[in-house]
Amino acid sequence: MSNISTAKLLILIYIANLIEGFIAPLLVKAYINIPITFLIFSFAIYKSRFNTNAFYAFLFGLCVDFISDSPIGMNAALFLMMAYVVNSYANTFKLFSSIQICLFFSGSSVFYIGFSHLFINLENFSYLILFISFVINTFLFLIVSMLRFYFPFSRLN
Amino acid sequence: MSRVALTHVSKLLYFFCIVLSFFLLYIDVNYKSFEKAKNLYKSFTISSSYILKRVTIDPFYYVYEISKEKSKLIEENKQLKQELDNSFIKNFLISKDSNFFVDDSTIKKFLNLNHIKKPFHLAKMNFFDVEKYLCCSQHRMFIKIIGNPDIDFIGSTVINDQGIVGQIIYDKSTTEVLLLTDVASVIPIVSGNHFCNARGSGRPGVISCTYSKLIWPDSIEIGQDFYSSGIGGIYPSKILIGNVSNINASDTSNIVFDLNLVANPLHGNFLGVVEP
Repeated sequence: MSNISTAKLLILIYIANLIEGFIAPLLVKAYINIPITFLIFSFAIYKSRFNTNAFYAFLFGLCVDFISDSPIGMNAALFLMMAYVVNSYANTFKLFSSIQICLFFSGSSVFYIGFSHLFINLENFSYLILFISFVINTFLFLIVSMLRFYFPFSRLN
Repeated sequence: MSRVALTHVSKLLYFFCIVLSFFLLYIDVNYKSFEKAKNLYKSFTISSSYILKRVTIDPFYYVYEISKEKSKLIEENKQLKQELDNSFIKNFLISKDSNFFVDDSTIKKFLNLNHIKKPFHLAKMNFFDVEKYLCCSQHRMFIKIIGNPDIDFIGSTVINDQGIVGQIIYDKSTTEVLLLTDVASVIPIVSGNHFCNARGSGRPGVISCTYSKLIWPDSIEIGQDFYSSGIGGIYPSKILIGNVSNINASDTSNIVFDLNLVANPLHGNFLGVVEP
């Protein structure tokens, strides 16, 4: 996914948003929230060879705000913060293990969930959702990161 | 390859964009300033998905529905046909003897058209010797009056939906009808000034009449219609009996002509018996 084109990433995020729209109502019954759109964007900037422009993240965030019917500026701010953190610590991440990276992304996703709940779903804000989502997301990322050991084509890429 | 660390300008730009995002978030949450844009996007999404569905999925679904509907109709048709056959088999014997399916509307229509106000009873043909009717001079029909009313029907006119068929001459255990074509039958008829007693010819569908030119000097024409005159009180008056088919001069003064009857006794199984 390194240096994915803007159009491709936009389409990917749009599809991810649709999938998220389908599975979120089902997962929330089990107190699980997986912010697929946010994670795909985060992964894209993480894998990028170059630093991401602030406007790039801002515009993507605005697009996601529109397509996901979120308050305008919420995803933009979160995407910008994520992009800033990833760009600032891009070289530091190389020293981290896969588990640490997974924990970082899980923590980011939990921050995203908590922050978005503050604006969208304040009445039902639940630490249980945050905790369970953190655990599930960590396991999910670990599985995804381990997939490359079992699929040789993905390693070659 | 390692990434270049963020410059101060980049950091400043990030800071500026984050502040801008929060500003947008603030005005959207508090003032709903972007509702129009969001609604526009929603309506666009709904419209495009609707159009896309109409163009892509609906034609296939329509074809599928048509095929399903057609096969369903064929299946239903087969089922109904089978049910009808079963019903027909079950009711075959009953329907042959039952009066349930009797329809007296045609008889009523005929009576209304000819202004016959007398009550009538529906009757069903019980026996009719067609061979005798076609070959011989005695033309009789045996009928069963539906409902078995306690009335003496001797002398009653028997009609079908075409016209007068004959009159009842015996009404005991069975009811015997003397047809107009029987040689023993006489019916007074009229056409204009021509009055005549038409007798049965013994031939199917034909009655004959004899008159004297000395009494009625006017000529008779082929195709001329004759009606019942009502003289004698047996048959109702002003009912079309038939038209002239053949004229013969038996001698210098007497003329014999044949009438083709409009009412065929073989037309149907059900008849009407007008009360005397």
